[in-house]
Amino acid sequence: MAVSYRPVKASPALKWINKNKAGFLFILPALIMYAIFFISPFITSIYYSLTNWNGVDPVKQFVGLKNYINLFKDSLLGLSLSHNVIWVIVGTVAPILIGLPLAVLLSNIKRGRLFFQTSYFLPYVLSGVVVGMIWGWIYNPLFGLLNYILKGIGLGALSRGWLGDPNLALYAVIAAAVWGYFGFCVVIFLAGLQNVDVDLVEAARIDGANALQQFFYVIIPQLRHVLNMVLVYTLIGGFNVFDIVQIMTVGGPANHTELIGTYTYKISFQQSNVGYGTTLSMVMTILSLVASYFYIVLRERQDEVGQ
Amino acid sequence: MRTIDQTHVIYRNPLARARRFTAEFFKYLILAIVLVVTVAPVMLMWSSALKTKQEINKNPIALPTSFYTDNLTKAWTVGRFSRYSLNSIIITIPTVLGVVALSCLAGYGFARHQFFGKRFFFMLFLVGLMVPFQSIMIPLYFNLKDFKLLGTYFAMILPAIGLGLPFGIYLMQAFFRGLPVELSDSGKVDGCNEFQVFWHIILPLTTPAISSLAIFQFVWTWNAFLMPLIYLNKDEFRPMTLGLMFFQGRYTSDYAMISAAVTLTTLPLILVYIILQRQFLRGLTAGAIKG
Repeated sequence: MAVSYRPVKASPALKWINKNKAGFLFILPALIMYAIFFISPFITSIYYSLTNWNGVDPVKQFVGLKNYINLFKDSLLGLSLSHNVIWVIVGTVAPILIGLPLAVLLSNIKRGRLFFQTSYFLPYVLSGVVVGMIWGWIYNPLFGLLNYILKGIGLGALSRGWLGDPNLALYAVIAAAVWGYFGFCVVIFLAGLQNVDVDLVEAARIDGANALQQFFYVIIPQLRHVLNMVLVYTLIGGFNVFDIVQIMTVGGPANHTELIGTYTYKISFQQSNVGYGTTLSMVMTILSLVASYFYIVLRERQDEVGQ
Repeated sequence: MRTIDQTHVIYRNPLARARRFTAEFFKYLILAIVLVVTVAPVMLMWSSALKTKQEINKNPIALPTSFYTDNLTKAWTVGRFSRYSLNSIIITIPTVLGVVALSCLAGYGFARHQFFGKRFFFMLFLVGLMVPFQSIMIPLYFNLKDFKLLGTYFAMILPAIGLGLPFGIYLMQAFFRGLPVELSDSGKVDGCNEFQVFWHIILPLTTPAISSLAIFQFVWTWNAFLMPLIYLNKDEFRPMTLGLMFFQGRYTSDYAMISAAVTLTTLPLILVYIILQRQFLRGLTAGAIKG
């Protein structure tokens, strides 16, 4: 049997396929999952926010930007956002003010560094639900640990229902969140401190800088990468908080701990106002994207300075 | 460059040594106080689980006088924590495996291959890092309903894999980029195809990155609350986080029962954490430190 071999001349299309095939096959499974469970709902989210759908009707009535206009008339949204702003400010400043000195202390000790680090980091491993329940017990007006301790040290006058007090509830929840989060900051700062160039610190000391000056003018600038990181983490996290508030107060008393996360959940899943609920979730999306954008800009500027 | 770890000062002068000693003492004192604030609430929960309701309400700090295990067994059986812990495992393991497998493949593709639209696809995945779950939770609910997945474990597993990918891919591609290119070239010279190079040569070198990613994803999925709250609300599918919430609703101020439930949820996790502490610290701060 005669077989004739013809030299195969690869067509440009075939060449193109061969060049791109391998790389594309590697990312394909991930891309499919991501497209179905992220990209598609994300786009649908934008569409839902332009309707007044209630989640049940077969027809989704298009209402244009009406939901977005209603955002500005929604006083409860304004209140929730103001709580988010407090959350972001206190929830960012407090863990840094607690975490940075602790990290400096830890970098200065010889024994037990890993032990302390592991212990401080422990609450970060726990879920928001557990943190919320532990602190719900600490704050309990009748059987709570905090009031028990206050009475024990003679400050019984200060004891109260921490989560029931409209002026305190938000800060009480933030304190619980900081407890759960500061260990993360300690570990990150400690890693940053271990990359600080001591020769520079020494040079500053020889030039007459005192300990505080060394810290603020030599060590902090070398930590800005890490500081930025923590800043953005808490910023994005501060706009998305849900778990811990839902467990501890469900937004109460009388909306005094309502945040945009809990408010969105209520509107979408308890009041079945899908159209307006997705509009609220779009607000959260935009806030997170703006925070991320600032982070990227900050980093790029730093990299320029660093060069 | 010298780093803090390499500075050692030896004090010969006794006065300087004494001063040094007090300084050390105060350092450790502050660290110890913070340690108590961090660890004591968890420990008190555990010890309360072994006390009766009356004991707890009388003195929340005192250690348990007898080894009272009724709360724990009641939470485990009547409180259905046996079921919830099983659910947590059923949800978490496939999610972690899925994220790790897909992230390794895609991370390698992004790090080591050229293909059409690579930059675009990479940016597409990065968007997922910046956007919160709330951005997609509502349409995803109706999608899952249409797919007939609502009321099965897949309603949580599949979206959790999809949402874990951006971080996973970002982490893995950064790691693969750090490996020398000569490795894969040598494999190709020896006649491996692209996948064989990946499987036999590259993958065995990535264990540290994989363990970081696996731990990160494990903690993230194990602790997830909003996602199961929306997608897995039937009692028989609830993971421990959700079980805890409903448990709290039922036993409002019964801290004997609540602390038992918290103990059942936290004790295994914290044991794993202590055994794998270095990996946890590395995994949960991965990405943050390298940035």
